[in-house]
Amino acid sequence: MTQRSKGLTRAKEIYRDRSRRVKELKTEGKKIIGYLCLYPPLEMMTALGLVPYRIFGDMRESITAADRGLPVSFCPFARSCLDLGMKGKYDFLDGMVMAHACDPVEKTAHVWELFIKHPYFYFMDVPAATRKRDVGVFKGELETLRETLESFVGEKLSSEELKKSIKIHNEQRVLVRKLYELRRPDPPLISGTETLQTIKAVMSIPVEEGNGLLREVITEVKQRRDGPQKKAARLLIWGSVIDDVSLIEMIERAGANVVIDDTCVGTRAYWTDVELTEDPLDGLAYHYLAEIKCPRTFVEAAHGEVRKDHMADLESRFSYLKDCAEGWNVNAVILQSVKYCEDHGFEVPELKYYLDSLGLPNTYLEHDYAEGSLAPLRTRVEAFLEVIG
Amino acid sequence: MYFAGVDIGSTMTKVVIIDRDEEIYSRVIGPSGAEHRRLANRVMEEALKQSTLSFDKIDYVIATGYGRFNVPFADRRITELSCHARGITSFFPSVRTAIDIGGQDAKGLKINNGKLVDFVMNDKCAAGTGRFLEVIADTLGLKVEDLGGISLKSTNRVKINSTCTIFAQQEVIFRLSEGIPLEDILAGLHDSIASRVITMVRRLKIEPDVVLTGGVAKNVGVVKAIKENLECEVLVPEDPLLSGAVGAAILAKEFVLKTLAKGEPITRKERQLEETTFFR
Repeated sequence: MTQRSKGLTRAKEIYRDRSRRVKELKTEGKKIIGYLCLYPPLEMMTALGLVPYRIFGDMRESITAADRGLPVSFCPFARSCLDLGMKGKYDFLDGMVMAHACDPVEKTAHVWELFIKHPYFYFMDVPAATRKRDVGVFKGELETLRETLESFVGEKLSSEELKKSIKIHNEQRVLVRKLYELRRPDPPLISGTETLQTIKAVMSIPVEEGNGLLREVITEVKQRRDGPQKKAARLLIWGSVIDDVSLIEMIERAGANVVIDDTCVGTRAYWTDVELTEDPLDGLAYHYLAEIKCPRTFVEAAHGEVRKDHMADLESRFSYLKDCAEGWNVNAVILQSVKYCEDHGFEVPELKYYLDSLGLPNTYLEHDYAEGSLAPLRTRVEAFLEVIG
Repeated sequence: MYFAGVDIGSTMTKVVIIDRDEEIYSRVIGPSGAEHRRLANRVMEEALKQSTLSFDKIDYVIATGYGRFNVPFADRRITELSCHARGITSFFPSVRTAIDIGGQDAKGLKINNGKLVDFVMNDKCAAGTGRFLEVIADTLGLKVEDLGGISLKSTNRVKINSTCTIFAQQEVIFRLSEGIPLEDILAGLHDSIASRVITMVRRLKIEPDVVLTGGVAKNVGVVKAIKENLECEVLVPEDPLLSGAVGAAILAKEFVLKTLAKGEPITRKERQLEETTFFR
């Protein structure tokens, strides 16, 4: 086999063996930095010649080691990530950046630092709200991150280099949004399963290679004739991290096309560009704190709005979902979350209320982050499709 | 024309054959066991024998329930939620809320004009299901069908606080050792099942008429506890196990008649009623 596979096939290959490329790069002398959740700014790593590599769990592997470090009634995704780390599966990393994305991830960061020794480790605080003061605090965090990365690499990171890196990462954001454009037609030109494989692959390789992969996929998907079939339902899927295709595959086999998502291996990572501000840290701080749509961040229309005008408050929190539903011609929403995810769990009643007010049918699924435990959800998904059909 | 509904639940397999007037020709209930495929076949054969029909006289078969994928002779599969909604409506056209407590799960259904509009489901845990009652009956050396009658004699119901089946089992034994009468313990258990299930179903906004189905609806103690908890009348069909299979058969009939009315052909699977099994 001399011919290198392209497009969707290559995305699938990387998805299945996602650390292969970075391990290869490591032998060439590159340094690989792991990061958990969307909050560490990848632009800084890329600009310093480091390769950012997103940390995921593995819902096909039983958690057998992590219970030494974390309680059992706890986010199973965080437990799975730590489990893989404790089993040595992330030993190839030269460093790790973790962030206070949510309380479980903060606790996991602490335990990670204790159990898994990487040459470099940094934990970033992330404010809970997005007021001006919070963005300032977060910028301060980014300054410290920059300093620690600089001393790890042994060179200074100039604003020019950082701006160049922001441009390359913005290019990736644009490409992902172009890919999502191909999900607007009916049937969509690319399935939810293929999209997830592609995005996860992109999060596993250096940014420029990811951009190349996205271009290949976009070209292929536009040209092929054997894309997804037209199905009765076009779904938006919302919720906590989905890093395995099994859930989307199950939904798509039950007779629906997943055409858009609000998840962090999807739109949340790519929906807006980082603004190129004079001090690039300003643009980065604002983007990473205020523009990533994770319910871990507190959002309200205006102080006191929650009680004064409930609908206005809901609009300010969730209207982007209305835009997605309209833009992608969605006829129902599946809300899903791993068990014990309080950030997503708290959001569900309000979000359901909002979706109901829009007349968008919706259902909520909770799962154990274990591939085998998805089977009972199939009946719920099928029944939901029967209800809306 | 004849239509069959096959409902393979976690504990029981149910088959119903109806004609185009929805008159029930046969109904058979058997334990599901480990081999859904072989059993679906046997229960179907028995239903045919009862109705004196041959298999090729059955125009359409819909399978439902956990085991719906293991009915090789089915033309179509529909989830038990939609089938229950349809079946229950045929028993009680005025139904708005249905509670189904089966062997391994509990469901709440919101029904409007015979159509399922919303649902909740507990399928992760045995608490508040038929299995829970079986475990308790086993612990006490009683038959599960006797629990309801005994609990009606209670004059001073105890509170059972554990929701986990195993912890509740321990709590029952502890109460017995304290000398508390059996009927008061059982009444407490039935109340705990009722409040658990109702807490879940309340997410749907309970509206009358309320119908209770599933194997647990045969337990008069649970029915009483649910009525008390809801403070409203609760209807129970004559055979609460059959709503899924009846619904599947009616949906089969409706599908066939609607398709014929449109002048379209019925596409049926090449099917044969023969023993099939996973296990060789």
